[in-house]
Amino acid sequence: MKPNRGTPWMFLSPFLVLFALFYIAPVLYAGYLSLFIKKRAGFGAAQEVFGGFTNYVRAFQDTEFLTSLLNILKFGVIQIPIMMLVATALALVLDASKNRLQGFFRTAFYLPYTIPSVIAGLLWGYLYSRNLSPFNQISTELGGGRVDFLGSDIVLWSIANIVTWTWTGYNMITLYAALQNIPTDLYEAARIDGASPWQLIRDIKLPLLRPSLLLVLIFSIIGTMQIFAEPFVLRPLGYVPDNITPNTYLYLVASRDGNFSYAATLAILLAVFTFLMSAVFLRFTRRGGDL
Amino acid sequence: MKKPQLKIALLSLSALLFAGSALAADPAFPKAPAGKVTLEVWSWVPGLDKTVAAFEKAYPNIDVKVTNLGGGPQTYTKLLTTLKAGTGAPDVAQVEYGFVPSFVDTGGLADLSTLGANNYKKYFVPWTWGQVSPDGKAVFAIPQDTGPFAMVYRDDVMKKYGIAAPKTWAEYEKAAATMYTKSGGKVKMGNFYTTFAPWFMALAWADGAQFFKRDGDSWVQTLNNPSAKKVLNYWHGMIKKGHVGTLQAFTADYWNAAGAGQVASNFEAAWGPGGYAGSMGTKSAGQWRAANIPQWTASNTVRSGNWGGSSSVVTAQSKNKEAALLFSLWLNLSESAISQNWTNGGLFPASDAGLDLAILKDKTKNPSKFFGGQDISSVYARASRGVNVNFQWAPWFPFANDNFNKQMDLMIKGRLTPNQALDAWQRETLAEAKKQGYTVR
Repeated sequence: MKPNRGTPWMFLSPFLVLFALFYIAPVLYAGYLSLFIKKRAGFGAAQEVFGGFTNYVRAFQDTEFLTSLLNILKFGVIQIPIMMLVATALALVLDASKNRLQGFFRTAFYLPYTIPSVIAGLLWGYLYSRNLSPFNQISTELGGGRVDFLGSDIVLWSIANIVTWTWTGYNMITLYAALQNIPTDLYEAARIDGASPWQLIRDIKLPLLRPSLLLVLIFSIIGTMQIFAEPFVLRPLGYVPDNITPNTYLYLVASRDGNFSYAATLAILLAVFTFLMSAVFLRFTRRGGDL
Repeated sequence: MKKPQLKIALLSLSALLFAGSALAADPAFPKAPAGKVTLEVWSWVPGLDKTVAAFEKAYPNIDVKVTNLGGGPQTYTKLLTTLKAGTGAPDVAQVEYGFVPSFVDTGGLADLSTLGANNYKKYFVPWTWGQVSPDGKAVFAIPQDTGPFAMVYRDDVMKKYGIAAPKTWAEYEKAAATMYTKSGGKVKMGNFYTTFAPWFMALAWADGAQFFKRDGDSWVQTLNNPSAKKVLNYWHGMIKKGHVGTLQAFTADYWNAAGAGQVASNFEAAWGPGGYAGSMGTKSAGQWRAANIPQWTASNTVRSGNWGGSSSVVTAQSKNKEAALLFSLWLNLSESAISQNWTNGGLFPASDAGLDLAILKDKTKNPSKFFGGQDISSVYARASRGVNVNFQWAPWFPFANDNFNKQMDLMIKGRLTPNQALDAWQRETLAEAKKQGYTVR
């Protein structure tokens, strides 16, 4: 029986149709939208007229937008490594401890991830409040000062803390699962050769974890670029800058200021930026087809 | 427009019982269109789904479907999206005054003047009509509730420190200093909300400030007008000395401090006291009072500003605009609806006759009860009638609203003087308005 050349396409078609409808089409539409600008004559509705690359020029001169990219870069450079370190350490500890508490800790670390980010934001909003925060109350009891966790200079790091709290356990589970897949005879062989537990980690576990670590990293980079909910739930509690993250900024540009075409432009630029970040990162870490 | 008190008392006992019958306070509403009509209404007023039962009884052929969107910014996002999409919008939606122009500019709102809405102008408190009909011809919404400003204060705290409710701003400033000294800085006379532009604007509004104005085919924006500068410098002086606080409105921190007697007074809109009662519960219950806001020059006329309040808009997409207008008028002028909205949501009416309803003055219920049984609605009614009628908003106000927070943050940090903060607010908002395609100077 000769295989029909159309068969693979037939099997692929459900995916391709959905992919085109829900992925390609919106992207193309955003690209189309981004070429228009608002024109007004007198009062009433604005006309959307073709503006070529006006929106793109505006975006590159938009200090608010550029600041938001800078914010998220700072955020990523500091928050992602901390989260990765903690998640990896926890996964290794869990993997090494073969006692009954393992299941309990696994669940406990994972729990924050199961709490919706909006609820988490409210919860942390209370923990961050100036006068009622338990942290601040303890600190004043001990004769220290109050920290204004929601102050505009610190709020980015308060958000980083929420994000870390949410995602560390989740990433830990991913890494832990990868550790479970390492064949135990490798460990036995290493022990027979007289390897210490540290050597086990350094020479066996971490190298074999590499693909999973890269995966977690890539997802963290993409996730960081998309941070939205945490800053948004903190907004009613104080001053959180519009452009604290690119996503909050472009949401406000669209929904508050009605600049849909400019928001589409920003979304495209943000996607390109995220893609570049991931690509650059992959270039630096690739060693012979790990991912 | 006064009615016999007894009848009011009877009616408010059971507004529902009489609903549908034309009450003396209710104006003659337009005739209902014939045939079966379904109206979709978006709102955040608690209990509105029950309030409309009386309307459906009076107009059996009109079926009202209420969707409660809970308020908050997502409410507007949803409405804006449907207006932009050209489909999926409700017939009637609730929109705050400050945000009406931005919706007008989408072209998505119906001009109700073509349906005779101007005939109902006389039933509303004068300044509210200016909010929905900026040029005095087209009418884009029907006023619903208002937030005229009054001073709320802790009677017990003021007595403890021997301070009388100030009648002028000079007296207020003195009181703030006295309070600070006598309490060792533990009690603040007042509080400045740094993240609520409309709160600040209401104080400037009381002084006759103009922030936005239409001028022929273009706009004039003066966010840094003399009144605004006067008001902000005045407050900034007290903030710097620590005489007034800068707690964030509606946060646990604020309610806690207010309940604990660390905030002696504040300026709140008519819908505020209900929130005080609801958020502080038993703490400081019965200790609050309301008074007219201080004046810049001592006089017997009370000039006040307004913070918040909302209106009912009819969308251009509505297939039943007559019915939608009828419903909007009924919702905001009928005694039955006004009473229910007050009881369920603390909505202070925009209807002139509504200000005198006995139910607003019920001493046994909150908010009056929380305010020691004081008839605070009369204080607010007086404030509402003293709100300057010439006050306009601009379509790009939502941007100005958030940008204000940025400038205040810089001011509190000491990086900008009050004048610089207002100038920056003016400059950045103007740039944004121009980017949105407006002709504005």
